[in-house]
Amino acid sequence: MQMSDAVGFSASTPTVWRPRHAEEAYRLKKQFGHDAAYVSGGTLLRTQWENGSPVPGHLIDLSSAAEWKEAGADNGTFAIGAQTTLSACRSDPQLQALYPLIVEASRSIAAPSIRNLATIGGNVSSGVGDSLPALLVYEAQLDWYDDGGERTESLEDWLRRMQDGTAQTDSLLLRVRLPLESANLDPSENLSENPSLTADPAHSFAYYAKIGRRDSFVPSAVTTALTGTIDGSGRLRRVRLAAGGGKTIPRRYPEAEARLEGKAADDRSVHLLHAILMASYTPAPDPFLSDEYRKRTAANVAASHLWRAISEFAHGKEGERCC
Amino acid sequence: MLLNRRNSGERWRVRPDGPGKVTGALAYLTDMDVPGALYALVLRSPHPHARIVSIHTEAARSLPGVAAVLTHADVPGLNRFGIARQDQPVFCEDRTRYVGDAVAAVAAETLALAGSALDLIEVEYEPLPIVGDPEQALLPEAPLLHPEGNILHSKSYRSGDAEAIFGQCAHVVEETYVTTRQMHAYMETEGGLFVPGPDGSLTVYAPTQHGFMDRLQLSRILAMPERRIRIVSSPIGGSFGGKDELNVQPYGSLLAMVTGRPVKIHNSRRESVRSGLKRHPMTIRMKTGTDESGRILAHRVRIVADTGPYATLGAEVLNFATEHVVSAYRFGSVDVESISVFTNNGMSGEFRGFGGNQAIFALEGQMDRLAEAVGMDPWEFRRLNMKAADEPGPFGQTIARTDGLAKVWAAAADSALWKERVHLDISENSDIISTSSATFDPKRGGGDLPLWKRTGIGAALVMHGAGLGYGIPDPSGGRLALRKDGKIEASFGFEECGQGLIATLEQMLVERFGFAAEDLRIVIGDSDAVPDSGSSTASRATSMMWKSLSLLQTPFTEKLLTEAANCCGLPVQRLRLGPGGIWDRESGERAIGYPALAERLAEPIVCEASTSYPVPDTDIVGAHYLYSYAAVVVKVEIDDLTGRIRVLRQFHAVAAGPVMNPQGYLGQIEGGSSMALGFALLEESTMAQGQYIANNFDTYLIPTIADLSGPVEVLAIEDLPDGDAYGPRGVGEIGSVGLAAAIASAVRNAAGIFIHRLPIDPALLQEVMPIGQWAVMSDER
Ligand SMILES: Cc1cc2nc3c(=O)[nH]c(=O)nc-3n(C[C@H](O)[C@H](O)[C@H](O)COP(=O)(O)OP(=O)(O)OC[C@H]3O[C@@H](n4cnc5c(N)ncnc54)[C@H](O)[C@@H]3O)c2cc1C
Repeated sequence: MQMSDAVGFSASTPTVWRPRHAEEAYRLKKQFGHDAAYVSGGTLLRTQWENGSPVPGHLIDLSSAAEWKEAGADNGTFAIGAQTTLSACRSDPQLQALYPLIVEASRSIAAPSIRNLATIGGNVSSGVGDSLPALLVYEAQLDWYDDGGERTESLEDWLRRMQDGTAQTDSLLLRVRLPLESANLDPSENLSENPSLTADPAHSFAYYAKIGRRDSFVPSAVTTALTGTIDGSGRLRRVRLAAGGGKTIPRRYPEAEARLEGKAADDRSVHLLHAILMASYTPAPDPFLSDEYRKRTAANVAASHLWRAISEFAHGKEGERCC
Repeated sequence: MLLNRRNSGERWRVRPDGPGKVTGALAYLTDMDVPGALYALVLRSPHPHARIVSIHTEAARSLPGVAAVLTHADVPGLNRFGIARQDQPVFCEDRTRYVGDAVAAVAAETLALAGSALDLIEVEYEPLPIVGDPEQALLPEAPLLHPEGNILHSKSYRSGDAEAIFGQCAHVVEETYVTTRQMHAYMETEGGLFVPGPDGSLTVYAPTQHGFMDRLQLSRILAMPERRIRIVSSPIGGSFGGKDELNVQPYGSLLAMVTGRPVKIHNSRRESVRSGLKRHPMTIRMKTGTDESGRILAHRVRIVADTGPYATLGAEVLNFATEHVVSAYRFGSVDVESISVFTNNGMSGEFRGFGGNQAIFALEGQMDRLAEAVGMDPWEFRRLNMKAADEPGPFGQTIARTDGLAKVWAAAADSALWKERVHLDISENSDIISTSSATFDPKRGGGDLPLWKRTGIGAALVMHGAGLGYGIPDPSGGRLALRKDGKIEASFGFEECGQGLIATLEQMLVERFGFAAEDLRIVIGDSDAVPDSGSSTASRATSMMWKSLSLLQTPFTEKLLTEAANCCGLPVQRLRLGPGGIWDRESGERAIGYPALAERLAEPIVCEASTSYPVPDTDIVGAHYLYSYAAVVVKVEIDDLTGRIRVLRQFHAVAAGPVMNPQGYLGQIEGGSSMALGFALLEESTMAQGQYIANNFDTYLIPTIADLSGPVEVLAIEDLPDGDAYGPRGVGEIGSVGLAAAIASAVRNAAGIFIHRLPIDPALLQEVMPIGQWAVMSDER
């Protein structure tokens, strides 16, 4: 702790710690337990405090650790440091090229002033952030620091444990890793640059949508992401679907993914996807929108993603790609 | 004239208070600070309805740094307030009736200490059954919220025997319309600075729409003569009716007088939501019948308004709604009964539109339904049933004659948007097109729209009364002076709450008298410095400034010219007012500057005018004499995936007399319509068991610029009949009235669904599997 400078001692204001390394941050968290919180941008915490959650006695400010602010290729993956702000994600050219849904998700979260502070780490750690469906379809991994030092876990597993209530609460998120093989290497997109590929008409698609009660600067009601490919013979391949929204912990929909694998890219697939989500999307309670409404929204929006993908494919990719 | 910058030419001026507001340099009253000020907080009831068993403040009082802890026992005067009826406790004695009810207040050296002191006040409550719904409040077994019962006010208007006539009607439409609790959502929450003087006086720096009313109310509470209280009340960071009634002023004033020190108080957003006023939720049941040809024969209306726990202006809002559910249609017979009911929900009160918003949503909904029942174009249906210019007002009273109604009707019929609707309706119903493609729908998809988006166009007609109406004193007036320093000083007891009153007053002075803006000093919002002009409400301020200036024009001009003539040795007839001073008509030169003239005078030149808002010759309380008219046409897009509505375009035709300030007029219509868009699509202060569910703007959603991105065209119809003596009618509210009804109408046009509740529930418009019908690819491909 000798490396940390604590500021602001007073009965009512919490102590702020500024650790410079993961080990130190984690040690502080272990030491103070429930009376301490990691703070990245502090934007989500602030809303929680506004809404009456107690402010803990110790705030562990993670912003001094520069190593967690970097984004770039690392070890066969693309790593985004947990302290990377959503503004930085939004304007990162590499992310835009490789994982455009993350850029799109970043753009849809809160407002510019908040995105300047808010981090991807805080968004992920919340368990309900709007970046999660995008990260899920890219099969993101999380690097944690805890008792055993650094470890890696799939985002999907961690969210499942969040849902079960078995996720460790003290672990420190260091970075999010995205496998390079899930990057947006759309062969049809390379057509113009590389005429030799024209023989392969496969079409990759990626869609993200955040639906709220108004157009912008709004908590999400439903957030969806869908990626996949339509192969040369018009069959769906490697469809990955994730949905969350509001307090609903996002998850993948393996049943839909499995049943769509190899199916013809046609209306029946759109219907199938819709039916599966109607049956299996279970939103957490929301005081403003009914479960039924949000179920239908999730199914409609996800089905519209697939519909767009198919119609783009059918019309030789004329349509725009967007939510 | 279509109002925009280009068409306005030189009349499009920079707003004097604009730069300060845009840059943030302007200090609002709640930004003020003085050294040594105490910080105050108010303890409010956690229970919507409870008996107070005991209040113990000893622990709070003995906390070091706490200067005062007050309860009902410490109020020297009347422990009640209310503009119209004083029934709201400053501090509750033995019972609380909503979650904003105040029980105690503290002043301490710091805000944190004030917070700790609040925690130390022990109040024992015995919760009582909650009356959470006005219909429930009317049941015989409902707990009584006030000794006189749960009805604040009822109002009825009858003409002919509607009930008997329904039997003769060819078409009868019955519907129940429901509107919910909307929040003003002003940027600046309630607060202020309260400074006691060494002579036992008190200066209050706190936003209000009527400084003199606050002074009167505070003098009752403090048991102090009005002349010892000074109210400084502008600039205001938004009010929209929400700050007309007292809010935190009693607590700041009492604490300042008790401690003898300046006290600062400023509501957090949560406190503001909890204690502040909202728009009255109303349930409006209508039954309306026509003959075979579509002429309306009978109109029956029942209004139930949820007024919350105390009166404020609940009765007046109800009167207004009662008048406007009739509005400008020629009903053969009318039977309206309205009732405003006490509940343990949040306080309802004054809000831009004043009951007209709810009334017009219902009335215009009824017009659309009837038109369909009759099989007529909805706009033609309105024309058939509209009153002519010389017919009486809604309550049968004589009103000032204008052709505004017919003109806004025609402007809407002539608008590009309405023509687009007529064209689409024709193609939709045309056999030739519909047989050419089984799935063709001219309102669906097309252009940049995906197939799950539908568009529709709708319209609504609005009549909106201004001024307080018959039976409520509505005096006004103003003062012009040439002061010692050479400034032409215009003083009015009005407030600048963002509506642009200062800009409009400046423009009127420049255009009417020929002064330059630099010659002027505008003094408002200070009870020690201005005459009482009445409240800055009810779309009345611009009319009253115009009236006062027209009364002042001759005497003030004559005095200035006479004095100038004396000074310059020129005949009065050769002189005229102009920028910078008095000008010689013959030489074209300035004869004397205002400062030079002022210097030569022994006494400043001062002229005062008093007037009052015109009322009709009637005995019906609340009936209006001057009205503005508007027609709103709107195009919406519905997303079948989510059921959400987006407003694509708006057209507003407004007939309200001459435009005093084009930028201000446009701003009022655009701003009002933005509030109406929120009312129609988003805003609802839901309450459950007397508690607010949305306590901040994270869940109480007002429109953002993204929701307001569509173009808004405003056509100002300025004509008034020859000899009209009333000049500009108000436009402060009318922009906020018609849009919700027009959106509902457009939704019907797009999706075939009638809307009867606001805000519109997206679930109603959402389709199950909306893309199912739009085959992209199938095995047949
Ligand atoms: C007005 C407003 C609007 C918002 N809108 C959205 C929205 O549309 N979508 C959305 O998803 N979110 C929204 N948010 C929430 C929030 O801004 C984002 O989720 C943001 O990404 C959180 O990041 P942060 O760095 O501010 O997190 P913080 O507030 O610092 O932390 C969030 C949580 O994560 C924990 N934490 C932070 N860093 C770590 C770490 N490295 N390891 C372990 N735990 C950690 C904290 O202890 C805390 O529990 C909004 C917030 C506000 C104030």
